[in-house]
Order: sequence, then C-alpha cells, then structure tokens
Amino acid sequence: MNIIRYIGKRLLFIVPQLIGIVLVCFILVKAIPGDPATLMLGPMASDESISRLRRELGLEKPLPVQFLIYIENLTRGDMGKSWQTTKPVFDDLLLRLPATLELITFGLLGALLIGIPLGVMSAYRKRGIISKVADYYGLFAGALPDFWLALVLILFFYTILGLAPSPIGRLDLTVIAPAQVTGFLTVDCLIAGNWRAFRSAAAHLVLPVLTLALVNAGPILKMTLSSMDRMLSAHFSVYEELCGLPRLMIVRNAFRNALPSVITIVSVLYGYLLGGAVLVEIVFSWGGAGQYAVQGVLNSDFNPVLGFVLFSSVFSLFVYLAVDLIYLVIDPRIRG
Amino acid sequence: MEDAILEVEDLHVTYHVYGKEPVKALRGLDFEIKPGDILGLVGESGSGKTTLARSIMGLVPAPGRIERGRILFDGEDLTAKSREAMQSIRGRDLTMVVPNPRAELNPLVPVGRQVANVARVHLGLSKAQANRAALEMLQAVKISDPERRFHTYPHELSGGMAQRVVIAMALVCSPKFIISDDATSGLDVTVQAQVLELLNRLVSEKRTAMLYITRDVGVTAHFCDRLAIIYDGQIVETAKTAELIEYPMHPYTLMLMAAFSQNPRLRSMWTKAGSRIASEAGRQGCPFAPRCVRAEPRCYQDSVALRELRPGHLVRCHIPVTR
Repeated sequence: MNIIRYIGKRLLFIVPQLIGIVLVCFILVKAIPGDPATLMLGPMASDESISRLRRELGLEKPLPVQFLIYIENLTRGDMGKSWQTTKPVFDDLLLRLPATLELITFGLLGALLIGIPLGVMSAYRKRGIISKVADYYGLFAGALPDFWLALVLILFFYTILGLAPSPIGRLDLTVIAPAQVTGFLTVDCLIAGNWRAFRSAAAHLVLPVLTLALVNAGPILKMTLSSMDRMLSAHFSVYEELCGLPRLMIVRNAFRNALPSVITIVSVLYGYLLGGAVLVEIVFSWGGAGQYAVQGVLNSDFNPVLGFVLFSSVFSLFVYLAVDLIYLVIDPRIRG
Repeated sequence: MEDAILEVEDLHVTYHVYGKEPVKALRGLDFEIKPGDILGLVGESGSGKTTLARSIMGLVPAPGRIERGRILFDGEDLTAKSREAMQSIRGRDLTMVVPNPRAELNPLVPVGRQVANVARVHLGLSKAQANRAALEMLQAVKISDPERRFHTYPHELSGGMAQRVVIAMALVCSPKFIISDDATSGLDVTVQAQVLELLNRLVSEKRTAMLYITRDVGVTAHFCDRLAIIYDGQIVETAKTAELIEYPMHPYTLMLMAAFSQNPRLRSMWTKAGSRIASEAGRQGCPFAPRCVRAEPRCYQDSVALRELRPGHLVRCHIPVTR
C-alpha cells in the first residue's frame, strides 16, 4: 500500500514540476535581449512587416497571456521554427533526440560495463594490479577531453587500421534508414529485419560509444570504488567477517549496499549527457540534439535552443523519477 | 579433569599507531575456559576487552598486532592459522555476539536470511534446509511470530529483537565457544535479564563454553561460573564467582563492587579521584597504582605476577586485601 501511495504522490508531483520547467523556459524566452520579430526578419526588414509579425506572435499582449499562449503552443507541438533549418523545432528535435539518446544510452551502458567491475575489483583487492590500473584510469578519464579521445580513436581505427567506418553520421551513405519506430536505429533495423542497415548502424556506433564509455567510466569507477570502500569498512561487513562468511559473499553484499550511490551518479550522467555529448556528436557528424542546440546558440537561433532546454529538462525529470522508483525497490528502509 | 576448550597463554597485543608510541592493549593475558563454563570478564572501557575478543576471533582491530602468546582453541593455536582456516572456524565453532545489533546487521537483507546464510556457509546446507534451521533458531531465541519476522529487515526490529537475531546467528551452527562482547549493554534491564537467561539455557543445553565480557559486575554475579577482572590489559584477579564476591582481594575489584554499594562510607573508602592513564609500553609497576588508595612506593616500581592466594583464586597485587 505504501509503495502505491508513494508512486502516486511522485507522479502527481510531476505536474507542478513540469509547469515549473515550462515557466522557466518561458522566462528564458522573454529574457533574450532584442526584439524577436526583428531578429527573425533581419536588419533589412521594414517596420510594418516587423509590427505585423509582432502582432502575429502576440508580442503585444500582456505577459501572463503570452505564457498561456506559449503553453497552448507547446501542447500542439509548436515550439516555433528554426530559421536555419526552416523546419518546426519540434520536428527537428523529434529527428535528432533519438540519435542522441541512442548514443548516450549505449555509451552509458559501456561506461557501466567498464567502471563498475573495475571499481568492485579494486575494492576487493586493494593492493592488486587492477586497483593500480583503475587508479590511473580514473585520473586519466577525468583529464581526457572527449573530443580529443574521439579524434584519436578515429585516427587509429579508421585512418590507420581502416577497421571503423568513416565518421560521417549514423549510417553509410549508401544505406537507407528503416522506418522510424523507436528512433533507435539499431532497434528499428532489427524490427524491420534489415540486416545490412543494422550492421552499418552498429558499426557507426562503435567509435562514438567507445569514446563516451571510456570517458564516463571514470566517474562511475570512482563512485563505485568509494562507495564499496565505505560499505566494506561498515559495521555490517565487519560483522559478516566475524560470522566467517567468505570474502566473495561479503563483497557481493557490500556491492548491493553500494548500488544506490552508483545509480545516483548514473542518473546525473544520463541527464547531463543529453547535451554533454555534443562534442562527440560534432566529431562524428552525428546529427544529434546537442549539436542542434549548439548550432542554435552560435547562430542566434533561439527556438531550437529553448526547445532543447525544455526537452532535456523533462528528460532529466523522468530519469530522476525512474531512479527514485528504483531506490524504492532496492532499499527496504525507504519503504519502511 | 577435562581439557580446556580455550586457553590463552601470555597474550600480548600492541597497537602501532604511526607517529606515536605503541600502545600495549593486552599485556600477558593468561586464562582458560573449560567446556560448559561461563567466564565473566569484567573491565572498564579501554581495559582491552574488545581487543581480546577480536584477537581470539582472529580479527585484531587494525593497527593492532599480536606480539607474543598463543591462543589455543580445542588444542590448536589460532594465532598460527591461515585466513581461510580461521574463516571456516569463525561462525561455526567459535562465534561472537556483538553489541548494538541494529548497526551490525546488513540493512538490505531480511534477518531470517542473514541467519540462514551463516548456516549455509558453514554447514553446507541447501537453501531450504538453511531457511528451516534459521527459523528453528529464531524460535529457540524466543522471537515472537518467527515466520513473519524471518522476512523483516533490521531497521524494523527493536533493540532486544535484533539482539536475539544476533544470538541466533551465533548459535545456529552449535558452536563450541561463544564470546559475548558487551552484548547486553544498551538494552533495557528486563530485556537484558531475558537475554541472559536465554543464553544461559542454550549454553547449558549444548555444553558450549562462553566468555562473557561486560562492564557490569552486578550482572555477572548470577550468570557466570568464574570471574576475571581485567585492568589495563592484564588480569588482576580471577576466581569462582561466589569466591570472588565473598572474598575480593584486589583493590580494583573492591572499587568496582563499592561503586554499586549502598554504603556511602564504603564507596568513599575505595574511590580515589583520577581516571585511568593510558599505559605506555615500557612502564614498570602496577598499572593500577595511580588510582589505588592503598598504593605504596613499591607499587609504582615493581611489576606484580598473578599469585594464588586462596585455592583457585589468583590475584595480582603487592598488598591485596585480606581479612
């Protein structure tokens, strides 16, 4: 009963949180200096076309009304147009967000596969070789710029070894993308049974995913290690040793106790990477959402930027909700 | 004469703290316990009780080290054993009941399963058998509604309940020897009495030997067969319980008993101001001298050995109280 009530409360709380996000985005829109109409039409526009556009955009109306118009537009999926792509921002994002999501999801999975085992094994044998390797790796991963690593990987695996495909995006030029179901190319290819496209998509994913995995494994490794250390020196681990439980079991139990901290950092990374993967996206010409937002910033094209802010805030919101629910499952103290 | 199940011979444990003088926690500890016996070890904080308990278990708290001495358990020297060998003895033949159980149990595992784990690891039982053994044990320690409590988590239990769980974990493999390290401090007096009575019954049923460590002399009187008073890493007096209570001879023992006495004159007679000074490694003389009301110059200079002043009654004092 407690659990259902807790979930219900959390889901209910999403509504005010969403309203808050939208409000902040709206304030950001209004905070941009300059007249949006002038910005859109350019310096050569005539006064009457500017004032006509201003009336069209409702810029003469009082702020609360504009806010309601903003919300109304959002519910219709209207986030304005990008003057660079000349397409509605919503459509642009719908195309680009799945690209980024696919990239960062696989990237984080890779980071987990590298970071967690290294962290656990370092805690298991504090003076072993793996511990030393993990130590240096954690240092380097923090210092490594992701775009530099990406370029190095491309140089090595594509230019020199010729193993990886060229970094021109998600698919080979000659391959046609399958129908978009989830937006994840790999999944969509499998659904459509298109093996050639699947192989191409997977091949193109390898290097950027590897880049993200290697860089983000660093913080995951450090968090796992410090959390494991704390759990292994806690009273209950000493007690388990007093009861003569084998070391493997003690480490496994300590890991279960260390999990919440690791999950927290993964959730933070996940929210961050939606925009934070932009440099990798640029290097690999990925056509992702971060890239889109950055181009918007560089070209004073505000609608894409704001659209991206809104989307990524909502995304983070749901990631944190999912994490809270996971905590509920793994930690009985929260339920009690 | 039955062989002792536990024999501690001349045990010296020192803590080597980086940058400071090494602290001698145990200085030549000697005692033995026979199967079925309960030895009460009474001492104040810092006297070395926990160091002794952990050293016997083979887990000397860091940065401590066993410098000298042997710990013979069932004839075998535990100080010479490998880690794997100790790991299989601990929890099965030699177990420990810890204080503050809610902090010591794993917060994410149901308590029944924690008991079952011990059984599975040491007795090689299947999951179902171990669960059954755990359930029986929970019943034996008089936990009410054991089937339901099997699945509860440590934070949902009261202190007394959690203490019973810890006792169940110590007893589930029918050990030959149990160390209880201050296990009932922090519990309500009534709960304490129940727990002691429970331990007593289970111990006498299975002829387990027990080392009952405590700070409370009063509790041990009804419960233990023999008493040993420990001060500053040494045993200063030891005898059968009845004998010790009737004829206490060491000033420290008298001070402990006077502290509980109703008689204010008795209390003032035996209590001297000043607290315990941590003993340096090389100091001579009786460590209790600074606090002793009967101290003479030779008490500060010459060390004392344990001497048998009455049959079965050993005292470590230059000027013991005799009547």
